[in-house]
Amino acid sequence: MLQQGALVGLKVVEFTDQVAGSFCARLLGDAGADVVKVEPLGGDRHRKNGPFPSGVPDPDWSGLFLYLNSNKRGVSLDIESPGGRAAFQDLVNAADFLVLGHNSSEIERLGLRREQLAEANPKLIVTAITPFGLTGPNSGYLGDDLIAISAGGMAYATPGIPDMVGDPDLEPPLRSNTNMAGYLAGVQGAVACVAALLSRTIQGTGCEIDLSMQEAVAAVMPFELAHASYHEAKARRPEIFGVMPNAYLPCKDGYVVVMAVMEAHWRNLMDLADNPDWAELEVFSSGVERARNWDALEPLLLEWTMAHTGAEIAQLAQDRGIPCFPAYTVGQMVDSAHVKERGFMRDMEGPGGQTFKLPGYPVRMERTPWELFRPAPALGEHTSEVLQEWLGYTVDQLTNPGVGTR
Amino acid sequence: MTALPLEGVRIADFGQIIAVPYTAQMLAWLGAEVILIETEQRLTTRVWPPFAEAEPGVNRSGGFNMVNSSKLSCTLNLRDPDGVALAKQIISVSDVVVENYSSGTMERMGLGYEDVKSLRPDVIYLSLGAFGRTGPMKDLVGFHSVINLFSGLASVTGHKGSHPRIMGGLFPDAFSGCYCVLALLEAIYHRANTGEGQHIEVAMTEALGGLLPEAVMEYTLDGTEPERVGNRHREKAPHNVFRCRGDENWVAISVEDDAQFLALSQAAGNLGWAADPRFSSPEARLKNQDDLEPLIQEWTSVLDVPEVVEKLQAAGVPAGPVLDSAQVLADPHMVARGFVQSPEHPEVGQRPLGAFSWTVDGGRPGIARSAPLFGEHNQKVIQELLQVPDDEFARLLKNGAIS
Repeated sequence: MLQQGALVGLKVVEFTDQVAGSFCARLLGDAGADVVKVEPLGGDRHRKNGPFPSGVPDPDWSGLFLYLNSNKRGVSLDIESPGGRAAFQDLVNAADFLVLGHNSSEIERLGLRREQLAEANPKLIVTAITPFGLTGPNSGYLGDDLIAISAGGMAYATPGIPDMVGDPDLEPPLRSNTNMAGYLAGVQGAVACVAALLSRTIQGTGCEIDLSMQEAVAAVMPFELAHASYHEAKARRPEIFGVMPNAYLPCKDGYVVVMAVMEAHWRNLMDLADNPDWAELEVFSSGVERARNWDALEPLLLEWTMAHTGAEIAQLAQDRGIPCFPAYTVGQMVDSAHVKERGFMRDMEGPGGQTFKLPGYPVRMERTPWELFRPAPALGEHTSEVLQEWLGYTVDQLTNPGVGTR
Repeated sequence: MTALPLEGVRIADFGQIIAVPYTAQMLAWLGAEVILIETEQRLTTRVWPPFAEAEPGVNRSGGFNMVNSSKLSCTLNLRDPDGVALAKQIISVSDVVVENYSSGTMERMGLGYEDVKSLRPDVIYLSLGAFGRTGPMKDLVGFHSVINLFSGLASVTGHKGSHPRIMGGLFPDAFSGCYCVLALLEAIYHRANTGEGQHIEVAMTEALGGLLPEAVMEYTLDGTEPERVGNRHREKAPHNVFRCRGDENWVAISVEDDAQFLALSQAAGNLGWAADPRFSSPEARLKNQDDLEPLIQEWTSVLDVPEVVEKLQAAGVPAGPVLDSAQVLADPHMVARGFVQSPEHPEVGQRPLGAFSWTVDGGRPGIARSAPLFGEHNQKVIQELLQVPDDEFARLLKNGAIS
């Protein structure tokens, strides 16, 4: 397939054992760059993660690996052996980008700082994504998704508006059961890479990008930080929204957000609820009053939400311009007419003919469109191909215990 | 210090609320000249809390000031033909247009992509929508909560046996904004190589849908819906937050192998844990975390958060504090790294905010200036840049095309 991405012609070497670095490199591949994923001889750790199409672990068919590593080629090297390290250095010397994703101590131990790599390739852009960054008092700390989501402020902030903590003793801070910090850091890493590329066109040389997952989490919460910065008070959980109703409530078949903070929305909502007598009470006469008297209002609204399904509430409300919405399951999202019509999910086929889907790309670009032009590589699938094509390696050079060919 | 990549690039910012304002702010930090086009008749974050010292005012909102730093503010009435004409003039001297009005709004004002392309054939034009600009739900109003709920993210977030929860931090806006910045930088690079502009469309629901590959795969393989598991993990245990001394203080601890668990046991002064057959392998710990977590909780509950973090990190166990927003802005590590910056604002003084999450050769590409006052740069933009003469400027001010 002809690649049309904006980064066609640029070379990327990826060496990482975390979601963030893999996702960052995938996004560069999504934009058309020639991305070579360097894996240890035993394979990337995410090959073990699953889920697997047949339900049985298979390193070439881990769902997480497939998602993180499409639009890349795969090379297998033991970079701690002389032969593997030499091949790795040769690849880096030929590359525009080196994307790293490890704990910072591992990057230091392996000698992968830019000053140690770029003498032979001053144009090299090194992007290191680590839990706490390469510098600063906590830079040596180990971390993963839970640690970054916690130390970046997002776990404390969850559940977020308009969801609320019931009993703080029973509800500690919460993480989503996804690799969210990895994706947040990955996309910011890709931004940093392309920004560095534009800088390189001005000044001619590359640079070292030091991206902290902790900061990548904090960076996507400007509104939450604004509360701390402008109120000068600790943002306590739970905090009720200042204007009501903007509430997350149970309904007949699940949960629904009911948002009617504007007076017109509130009146429309009361119309839908058949204008009960209490709608006229002084204590509910404005959004601020309704927030102040939320303890009285909530059970009254619950009578209405519990009498309807989430879909009914959303339909009735959205028809009147009130932004209400039910909690979808993953299946409801995947099967929705909206997702189908936009073609967001991509069809995949497993080794035994199993069919399944993976999410596509959230951006549509008119002239440089995204395509899934290459599935994730099998372990060592492109070692020979890439070392020959990028570096002109001979068969002799490929025969080395540090170089994993298939 | 590396050259700022967007010096000389001009952005016309029609951003609303957070997502696109945040996008354009990142472009401003990268050196672009960002002209924020505001309409007095439909202000959002400027008139929403949090306000400095809880005192309302169009220049006092943290929600506005934290996503509009380093920009120029130009206040045009886009319901007035003269205001729209000025917006078109700004676009004709801009490289990039970004907007996230409701679907169809820019088109109704005559500022849609096709209109703009005739003014500026190589324009890069980005539209972001909660549900995107196509599909049966394109007109739905969607705030961050709706995006959490539709995308399925809420369904994988929540305590065990409890209902779906909404992630905190209004992050769908900023996360989608990062995709916008990525696409725009790619488009700017493409234009530098080819001379071509283009249209870009981003759907916030899809940015979030991309967080759930495993759940989507499992559902489409055999209809399995994910269970909510609190802070637990499918392969690691212990993997949770634990209470420490004091009120509302927690530490996050994540252990993935026997070596880390042995180190945790040693750090906690209880080697019995590692010897206990219930906890002697990753599989055993996963199975018996209901027994294990209270033991760890008992140890952490009499210690301060930093004490636990330092002990565990020194022993090689991944651990971190659960920080709230105020603690994030005061965190000595992030402050030392330059993540927290405090530009001076003429009305509200210095307010700390979060900059880029990365440094470049050790320096932080960052915030040049605080957010603009309402209409602060009308003269600079309309008179100096667009060369509108004095008498015409006075007329536009008088008839309300400029606020």
